[in-house]
Amino acid sequence: MMETRKPLLLSLIDTRGGIFLGLIAAATILVPVLALMVPANSAFALPPYLVALFGKYICYALLAIALDLVWGYCGILSLGHGAFFALGGYAMGMYLMRQIGTRGVYAHPELPDFMVFLNMKELPITWWGFQSFPYAMLMVLLIPGLLAFIFGFLAFRSRVTGVYLSIITQAMTYALLLAFFRNDMGFGGNNGLTDFKDILGFNVQAKETRVALFVASCIALGAGYLIARAVTESKFGKVVIAIRDAESRTRFLGYRVETYKLAVFVLSAMMAGVAGALYVPQVGIINPGEFAPANSIEAVIWVAVGGRGTLVGAALGAIIVNWGKTFFTGALPEYWLFALGALFVLVTLFLPKGVVGVIDQYKARRAATHKGGTAAAPAAE
Amino acid sequence: MRGVELKRHGKATRLALARPLHSFPHVLPDDCNTPAPDLPVQAGNIFEDAMSLTRRIMLRTAGAALGGALAFASASAFAQGAGTIKVGILHSLSGTMAISETTLKDVMLMLIEEQNKKGGLLGKKLEPVVVDPASNWPLFAEKARELISKDKVSATFGCWTSVSRKSVLPVFEELNSILFYPVQYEGEESSKNIFYTGAAPNQQAIPAVDYLMETEKVQRWVLAGTDYVYPRTTNKILEAYLKSKGVKQEDIMINYTPFGHSDWQTIVADIKKFGSAGKKTAVVSTINGDANVPFYKELGNAGVKATDIPVVAFSVGEEELAGIDTKPLVGHLAAWNYFQSVDNADNKAFIEKWKAFTKNPKRVTNDPMEAHVIGFNMWVKAVEKAGTTDTEAVLDAMIGVSVPNLTGGYSTMMPNHHITKPVLIGEVQADGQFNTVWQTSGLVVGDEWSDYLEGSKDLISDWRKPLSCGNFNVKTGKCGGATK
Amino acid sequence: MNQLPRLRAPRARALPLPANGAKGLVEIFSFATAAFVLLLLALFVAPQARAQGESTIIIGLSSDKFPETERALNDLPGSGLATAPQIVDALAANRLYFNGPARKLYFADEAGKMFDAATGEPADVMASALKKVRINNAVRRSLDAARGALTLMSPDPAKRKAAADSVFKSRDASALPLVEAALEKETISANKKILEEARAAIIASDSGAPEVRRLEAVEVLKSRGDQDAVSVLTTIASWSEGRVKAAAESASSVIQAKLALWRNVQNIWYGLSLGSVLLLAAIGLAITFGVMGIINMAHGEMVMLGAYTTFAVQEWARTSHPGLLNYSLFIAIPLAFLVTAAVGILIERVVIRFLYGRPLETLLATFGISLILQQAVRTIFGANNREVSAPSFMAGSFDFGSLQIGYGRMWIIVFALAVFFALQFVLRATSFGLRMRAVTQNRRMASSMGIDTNRIDALAFGLGSGIAGMAGVALSQIDNVSPNLGQSYIIDSFMVVVFGGVGNLWGTLLGALTLGVANKFLEPIAGAVLGKILLLVFIILFIQKRPRGLFALKGRAVEA
Repeated sequence: MMETRKPLLLSLIDTRGGIFLGLIAAATILVPVLALMVPANSAFALPPYLVALFGKYICYALLAIALDLVWGYCGILSLGHGAFFALGGYAMGMYLMRQIGTRGVYAHPELPDFMVFLNMKELPITWWGFQSFPYAMLMVLLIPGLLAFIFGFLAFRSRVTGVYLSIITQAMTYALLLAFFRNDMGFGGNNGLTDFKDILGFNVQAKETRVALFVASCIALGAGYLIARAVTESKFGKVVIAIRDAESRTRFLGYRVETYKLAVFVLSAMMAGVAGALYVPQVGIINPGEFAPANSIEAVIWVAVGGRGTLVGAALGAIIVNWGKTFFTGALPEYWLFALGALFVLVTLFLPKGVVGVIDQYKARRAATHKGGTAAAPAAE
Repeated sequence: MRGVELKRHGKATRLALARPLHSFPHVLPDDCNTPAPDLPVQAGNIFEDAMSLTRRIMLRTAGAALGGALAFASASAFAQGAGTIKVGILHSLSGTMAISETTLKDVMLMLIEEQNKKGGLLGKKLEPVVVDPASNWPLFAEKARELISKDKVSATFGCWTSVSRKSVLPVFEELNSILFYPVQYEGEESSKNIFYTGAAPNQQAIPAVDYLMETEKVQRWVLAGTDYVYPRTTNKILEAYLKSKGVKQEDIMINYTPFGHSDWQTIVADIKKFGSAGKKTAVVSTINGDANVPFYKELGNAGVKATDIPVVAFSVGEEELAGIDTKPLVGHLAAWNYFQSVDNADNKAFIEKWKAFTKNPKRVTNDPMEAHVIGFNMWVKAVEKAGTTDTEAVLDAMIGVSVPNLTGGYSTMMPNHHITKPVLIGEVQADGQFNTVWQTSGLVVGDEWSDYLEGSKDLISDWRKPLSCGNFNVKTGKCGGATK
Repeated sequence: MNQLPRLRAPRARALPLPANGAKGLVEIFSFATAAFVLLLLALFVAPQARAQGESTIIIGLSSDKFPETERALNDLPGSGLATAPQIVDALAANRLYFNGPARKLYFADEAGKMFDAATGEPADVMASALKKVRINNAVRRSLDAARGALTLMSPDPAKRKAAADSVFKSRDASALPLVEAALEKETISANKKILEEARAAIIASDSGAPEVRRLEAVEVLKSRGDQDAVSVLTTIASWSEGRVKAAAESASSVIQAKLALWRNVQNIWYGLSLGSVLLLAAIGLAITFGVMGIINMAHGEMVMLGAYTTFAVQEWARTSHPGLLNYSLFIAIPLAFLVTAAVGILIERVVIRFLYGRPLETLLATFGISLILQQAVRTIFGANNREVSAPSFMAGSFDFGSLQIGYGRMWIIVFALAVFFALQFVLRATSFGLRMRAVTQNRRMASSMGIDTNRIDALAFGLGSGIAGMAGVALSQIDNVSPNLGQSYIIDSFMVVVFGGVGNLWGTLLGALTLGVANKFLEPIAGAVLGKILLLVFIILFIQKRPRGLFALKGRAVEA
């Protein structure tokens, strides 16, 4: 951390990270070109629906990296990361709802449609300020961060660990799911927030806006990756990994384990919040379904499929699983759950370290000497 | 179609179709009793015109001939256009909604197969494109986009929950494609690209309450629902409606439960307690699919009989009852626009075809299935009329299209993209079917903007040119919203 | 008793729907007058009136109009029609037919043989050529009242009780002589009590009765002291005046105060009942997750398989052995255990045994398995709900004080406890249980002592799955039998096990019952949704206080 900026940045990028960032950079350049500049009838043209689809995958990839940071490096298996993702999404959704203005079906200048519909007379206090983009962006970071802080503060201080922690994170997201379903909460109930019009004055449905959102997602993913790398490669990160591998021992060495865990947890929640915020304008809806415990479990599975504790693997896993889901729900609508279920079983049985782990093993076998340098694969728990 | 003229009477839309050619038969069977002919079913929304049977038959023949001629003309015009017309089917085949939606996918496949046997449409075969949005709302939007952009479907039939419809609505509007939505819903929406073939609240809830008030003399009301938009809105409308009928606040109990609520002991006990105040009490249930089975099982266990406290449900049909032993529930009610037990030749033929198609003699039919039958036939007719599957042309051609429904009448697509339907009230029988005990004397037009809600009472929707507006404010004379 | 000559003024609510108020009143008035005249006629020229009554009843029932049917039914008990009981039974069973134009009425017996309803003679008609007499709730109420009046003197005591109950509900003044007659002959004290209450309900609701008698009747109703009595009393209070009104009001408030106390007992009962369901759902997980350390996301699907086994057994009984249908649960319980245990052992052998020591990876694999099982069931049985019927011993309820206890709920509690103690027995008192505990406490040591740990693992997972399957049999009685069944219980099950303390069966028992009762006390205050949220928050906070649940395991085994 004491070195100058440039070498630090470079030191963060190993071969794998280089390839990963290179791919993101390529997507950031190629997608706008193919979607906007190549004529629509050309074979190389990228149809707009694919842009939205890829944008969604990128957001999931960012969520996966956030999750990998806490699970892969700190040993906290959060089964409630979907909650942070969804809260970020709601903050963005609220901004987008306020931007609709008088274009809602009831044309109320202030209240979103569903509030008019529920006979609310004035904007609830929770919605104040969301017409401002900076405020909304602040909330995208703050709300998930604050929830993670309170939850983590209580849980880590009480030394809740292992499955107990996993199950109460699940309880947290489940409680939020039920709470957001309630119409009385003033967040649109089951229907959630939808039918967005503008973001920063641009039509969310325009091709250019979609491409811009895609590029923003790619940049966020790249930045998220670099931040995660910076954390894990730092001295701080070494302590975090030590906590993962032997929590008691680390504590006995004099480190305040709770503080380290809390810091990583809050950072990860904020990253998840950003992923959610970018996700919402691209899919066009945020509703309590995002809090469903199954969604959070699925995010854990992306990380496992890609390779836990590798960051790049987590992102890769998210993209592979979701691409598979898109493909199979269209190609084998009646049987895709068999394919997905089998994928999960087979990955855990035969690729315990995920896709990236297999590549590593392959490389290790080829070069008989192990060079090290990459983040150590997590020890078996 | 013929001159459809829009009169505005207050806010209610009344569609006066040119009399001689197209009028609406009364669907009241001769033996139906207590029809309460002066029942105030959404004044201005009923087609009062009756029609003699012979005229009806003549019309049907004429219509068929006309349709046939049109089909022939367009078939020859488009005969060179080889290939298929793709139809999207967007129903969840997995996840929580698969229970209800899988059946609708099957019924669509059957309708398409049948249409292909009749020679397809515009000389082309129809090709179903089935996808699974897996009860996941963002996935609905993604799949809708995929159907329209990648598969280039001409129309899509799909969705069940309101949230899934809300999720795909911007997609259909953006990409200008057509969606047929077959389920009863809360109203308060009208999209240029969506045709709502299920019931609006005035086509289900209000007639049911009227029935209970007049026939069962109900004075005390429990409005029980799952906590989401459809029950909230329906209960809001009903509360306003009941109060307008002089029901006091203390005689209304409103209760919301979460999705999939399975322990109903407390609530059933509360209902029993509420019902023992010496006034006839009824439960109006907008409880969502999954939670109904344990609810009814608990009612049966607690000995709440229909003769004491009847429950009228808006989301319980034959499919739901197929999962319950209905013997303890005989007499509880449901309000729909179709029952499998409706006795007429069209319905019988449909049930036979359905059983043969599913190779299951026990399969039941239900209201959303009928809505898809109506929607599909309307789409076929509109495409034939337009001679193309081009969205704009079909959108224009749809309004005014009239096809037989399965309850013995005709349903017509209104300019507000909702259809005319009869309202039927049925009692649960021991065999899991419904026995129709009451029926509206005519057809009711779906009212998308409820008259009983503050925000929407001045709004109407009319998608015919030049107005083409989903939320026209009759007070301000402007398109777009309730406020001045 | 059919000979009792009686005709009566119809109750106002039995009247056809008046088209408008004024016309309706006129109609009521003219109808009442007509009825009064008929009553006089009945008293003096009974035979003729009876003959006339018979034909109006036949005509009424065959008119296919609900109000006519209702009117005919109201007149039926007093008509003296010899076939009245058969007509009523046939109508209740949907076996009453009519020929509209000919004004003929027929009923079929259980075997489908047709009889002429006017004479009771066998009739040579085909049911398919006739129309069924339709009923709605109003008709059904009249039917119940008619049945009550007709069966007050039935030789079957259970039928007499039901009859007295329905008279209590209908409070039909014309049934009073019948009730009095029945009271004289009744020997069973419980039935006698209900008859007295029915008589009291009639008298108290009769504005023409002397005040003293009405006050007495109110006292009888007060002593009945349940929700139904409150219902009658508040109705009386709403239209009566003077002392009767005051007495009815005070009686109903006394009863309501008593009932409010009982409501707490009721909440405890409901809570125990919910707790037993949670216990059933969680107890298998307490083995696979709690004892073996596998985060078994497929646990809910085992419950679902158990429920589908019940469905399959009932389907088999329905088609080939209808006599067994009522006992099908006794076949389903062991069968569900075997089926799900076999599936569990298969899963353990094929997947889970490679994952011991990696609990978080079992989560992923079992999540995948749960998806596969759900979709498999959806493919085989279809996505719809399946019907599982309740056996007769689980239907109905009995009263305990002012608490109504359903047999179904009661048997589920009994079953849950039986499963719990049987499992305790297996774990504590059998050599398999001993070995299993040894393996989970110290695998290597157990192995060194000659225990086949592989076999024990497989059997233990099979045991946990089998118990989940048995839970499915019970849950099929109260919930949907659908591919999603397991999903709705999995989160609650994990909460229960974690709350109670992983690895401790008593913790699971106490956890389930605590959460159940807490939920039922919160629900009336906060509503079902908020109640559940509060409970989840409570669990989260509780885990902060006791990070290893209610009953924490002590010692080295704790460090996972």
